[in-house]
Amino acid sequence: MIRFSVRQRCEHLLIMVLFIMLALTGFPQKFYEMGWAQWLIPHLGGIDRVRWLHRLSGILFTLIALLHFGVVLSLAVMKRIELNMVPTKKDFRDAIITLRYYLGFSEEQARFERYDYRQKFEYWGLVLGGNLMIVTGFILYFPTFWTGFLPGEVIPAANVAHSSEGLLAFLVVIIWHIYNAHLNPDVFPFDASIFTGSISEERVEKEHPVEYARLIAKQKELPAEKEVGEKLTQKAKEGETTIKEEKAESSSRKDDSG
Amino acid sequence: MTMDAEKHRPVGWLAGALVGALFLLLPAILPAAESVSPEVQFCLSCHSNKTLELVLKSGEKRSLYVDVDSFARSVHGDKLRCTDCHGDISTFPHPTRSFKNLREFTLAYYESCKGCHFDNYTKSLDGVHYSILSKGDLRAPLCVDCHGAHDVARPGVPKSRISRTCSRCHQEVYRQYAGSVHGKVLLQDGNVDAPVCADCHRSHDIVDPRTASFRLRTPELCARCHTDEKLMKKYGLSTKVLQTYLRDFHGMTSSFHKSEQIPRSAVTAVCTDCHGVHDILAVKDPRSAVMKVNLVKVCRKCHPNATENFPAAWLSHYEPSPDKAPLVYYVKLFYQIFIPFVILGLLLQILLHVWRVVVNR
Repeated sequence: MIRFSVRQRCEHLLIMVLFIMLALTGFPQKFYEMGWAQWLIPHLGGIDRVRWLHRLSGILFTLIALLHFGVVLSLAVMKRIELNMVPTKKDFRDAIITLRYYLGFSEEQARFERYDYRQKFEYWGLVLGGNLMIVTGFILYFPTFWTGFLPGEVIPAANVAHSSEGLLAFLVVIIWHIYNAHLNPDVFPFDASIFTGSISEERVEKEHPVEYARLIAKQKELPAEKEVGEKLTQKAKEGETTIKEEKAESSSRKDDSG
Repeated sequence: MTMDAEKHRPVGWLAGALVGALFLLLPAILPAAESVSPEVQFCLSCHSNKTLELVLKSGEKRSLYVDVDSFARSVHGDKLRCTDCHGDISTFPHPTRSFKNLREFTLAYYESCKGCHFDNYTKSLDGVHYSILSKGDLRAPLCVDCHGAHDVARPGVPKSRISRTCSRCHQEVYRQYAGSVHGKVLLQDGNVDAPVCADCHRSHDIVDPRTASFRLRTPELCARCHTDEKLMKKYGLSTKVLQTYLRDFHGMTSSFHKSEQIPRSAVTAVCTDCHGVHDILAVKDPRSAVMKVNLVKVCRKCHPNATENFPAAWLSHYEPSPDKAPLVYYVKLFYQIFIPFVILGLLLQILLHVWRVVVNR
């Protein structure tokens, strides 16, 4: 089954590359006193070059974020996709059910939609954290401009927020995203669906049963009326796409949980 | 400079004759100082004559008079004989030498010092003064220009003497220094904690202070005193100045630039760019460049569009605290709590998941 559209896959890939670039050029600046940073910065071409790379990557990251929001929102306005990444009450219920299940208080397992609460958490963590990084990053990039109307103390505060939020994002990716995409016994060693776009029907049935049921139901409607059926399929596909898009990002954005 | 070529030219015969005449009068002259060696006393039989002089080709006159008291008081008074430095004049009548001008005369004897002071001589070869001398600028100071010749005294006694020595050529810098917080306490109060020229610039291997590498060493130079707990406590000054500088954008940049052998795209502020160099004032002095009301002018040297709010972006060497920079302090505190909270929460969920998977098997 197709889970992620080409656009979603590209977004994930680009965000992944940029995240690595930003971490690689950002952490030596945060931890510049450490031996490894003192080694890495000259090997990347010096502090000026490192800063240049970091800013360039930040600008590209910002463009991708803007493009993502622009595309998702305009598709949603045109009713071509549903915003299935938006948290609902069900997500909170699912989280409680899942925790009770993990703790052994109950054998009931939450039945997830296209995106489960963990995926939504990761997506929104990335969105909020990413936006914070973008805003604080541009404050640090143009301090003279911003202090034209903001108090000067905003600059060092943005510095602390930027470097702390970056650390948080990095840790979430390393711990949470790597676990979910690689080490999780359900997908070990590698959940490749965000790269290939496809996912096995069994996994959808197991991990996203509500979505699976909906897709099956739609497929059954197909033969009934040919024209309508085709339209439906297309709609379903578009719907998936959307869904996938957001998902993609969620997993792609590796993380920042906010 | 080819001084050797000048030897044995028949100039100065008049002086030679004079010396000879005085030599005859030797028994009549009593040595002015008991501490000098007999050889010195012998030479002084002529050279204590105040009118003894050499006329150079340029028309300049070089006095050949040696004040025995001042020589006796000098660091060399009880140690050296005349010929230790003037090795070419061990016979009488003296071999004739000719010098075009006074400077050439000084240059001819300047290398005498290295026989004993080889380390300082070698250091001076790396210094900016030697470098301009080697480019042909004969105004560059030689050993004797700073230390004197027959009256060599300990250079740092008193300490202010060092700066006064430099002031003979560097008058404008000295004027600024004398008005600075460092210069004032030393020159007026005699406080030897304050630095003199040589404390920052060194003495023999003086580096050209206009070079980027000297600039980038500034924080290290200032920090030698300004991170000294005991010294700074005396004056109620913070020793965190270096650390807070290095943790900020400028300090981090300058410390990387210093270690990199890479052309820089821009300069970054070091201590002296904000505080001033020779004219540095106490931060409490209302005229101080880093006084809050004056600071924006300093920022504008590099950030021409800086507004009144801009200087507050720099925390003035303070660590963020609820009093100083509360916003920064609380953002920091928030993350100190928030990061462990999120990470531990996620780790807990992972562990629970793994545990459940294991139980299910």
